[in-house]
Amino acid sequence: MEEDEFFGEETFQHYCAEFIKHSQKIGDGWEWRTSKEALEPPLDDFEVTETTTATEVIKYEYHVLYSCSYQVPVLYFRASFLDGSPLALKDIWEGVHECYKTRLLHGPWDTITQQEHPILGQPFFVLHPCKTNEFMTPVLKNSQKFNRNVNYITSWLSMVGPAVGLNLPLSYARAAFQDEGNVDRQDSFIEPKSLEEL
Amino acid sequence: MTDDKDVLRDVWFGRIPTCFTLYQDEITEREAEPYYLLLPRVSYLTLVTDKVKKHFQKVMRQEDISEIWFEYEGTPLKWHYPIGLLFDLLASSSALPWNITVHFKSFPEKDLLHCPSKDVIEAHFMSCVKEADALKHKSQVINEMQKKDHKQLWMGLQNDRFDQFWAINRKLMEYPAEENGFRYIPFRIYQTTTERPFIQKLFRPVATDGQLHTLGDLLKEVCPSAVAPEDGEKKNQVMIHGIEPMLETPLQWLSEHLSYPDNFLHISIIPQPTD
Repeated sequence: MEEDEFFGEETFQHYCAEFIKHSQKIGDGWEWRTSKEALEPPLDDFEVTETTTATEVIKYEYHVLYSCSYQVPVLYFRASFLDGSPLALKDIWEGVHECYKTRLLHGPWDTITQQEHPILGQPFFVLHPCKTNEFMTPVLKNSQKFNRNVNYITSWLSMVGPAVGLNLPLSYARAAFQDEGNVDRQDSFIEPKSLEEL
Repeated sequence: MTDDKDVLRDVWFGRIPTCFTLYQDEITEREAEPYYLLLPRVSYLTLVTDKVKKHFQKVMRQEDISEIWFEYEGTPLKWHYPIGLLFDLLASSSALPWNITVHFKSFPEKDLLHCPSKDVIEAHFMSCVKEADALKHKSQVINEMQKKDHKQLWMGLQNDRFDQFWAINRKLMEYPAEENGFRYIPFRIYQTTTERPFIQKLFRPVATDGQLHTLGDLLKEVCPSAVAPEDGEKKNQVMIHGIEPMLETPLQWLSEHLSYPDNFLHISIIPQPTD
């Protein structure tokens, strides 16, 4: 693997695995999928999907893929009405909160566009990945400074997700601390008292 | 020997004779004649078919027209793929002209991206150029350019202006004197026999010992099923711009001379024709 990679594919896989562990605990539906071709060895592009059926009439599907060109994760998503008909870009825009609209409309590189999903070959909406390094670097630098364990995928998804309707439960953030065995958090520390009560 | 610069011109000016026929279920006020056009291999369907659209809309009522889309032998054609790639991948073993069917209704939402305006094509094209430079130069060259240079790339493509395009594109084809090539080669390999739309991976043009990697090296590494074993019969054609480059060709050279205007090498793996 390349030593000079900022966020290599193996690192991506590692953080996704940690993310999935927590997802399975709280049951919010993320899955790990591998694309396998019959004639080739297993490919190393992965996706993570969440299928949420909202109480309203729109179903969103989110995929997290790794871009080897930009060496960052990329969020692909699509939305459809319950009858299966897809939402158009303008419908998607209507669902974006005002506070995100200005930022997203700023440059052609920071916006939502329709793209072909590189594994499924179907139209999805995508947040352009080329500015990801810019906003993720300070997050990672600070985590090193304060010696906090940070799951890149969790941090990244918590920043880009809300703009497109994806809100991560706060427990994901606590899960990242738990991995480090940070004894400040109550949930990760079993007190002898509670064992006696059992 | 052909000069390397001549290769750039031959690639740019490649054309495919195409016959456009209106889908039989479209509602027309009178009979629609087929429309013939030479399509530029390096461009995109929705960028070069205004005349086709106008021709068929003349015999249709406004209310029967929605977004235009194209299909070949039942397969919707992805306008965001370069024309030459679509032809090589789907129709190169058939007789010319390329017969494309034109539709104005029942847009296949699950298969095709929408193309409501030329701006969408420009955004897609520039997105590919940017991604290619991320691979070649960590985006340094494209980010150093001014907006007007980006615009010149697009205008050069849109208006079929080879010199205007290459005045800027040559900068994207340079590399530091101390290196022997780009950081990674922008490429995509397409096969109709697989579910996955294309293969794209990180691949260096130069090996650690300084040797230039070849097209054959790339295929062996990322698509081994495409290349026949040495003693075996050739199963597939490896095609770029309608030709089969020798597998010994250095990948760096291919990237500099046979890339599409988006700076990607779009490579088709197709079954060897039997005739």
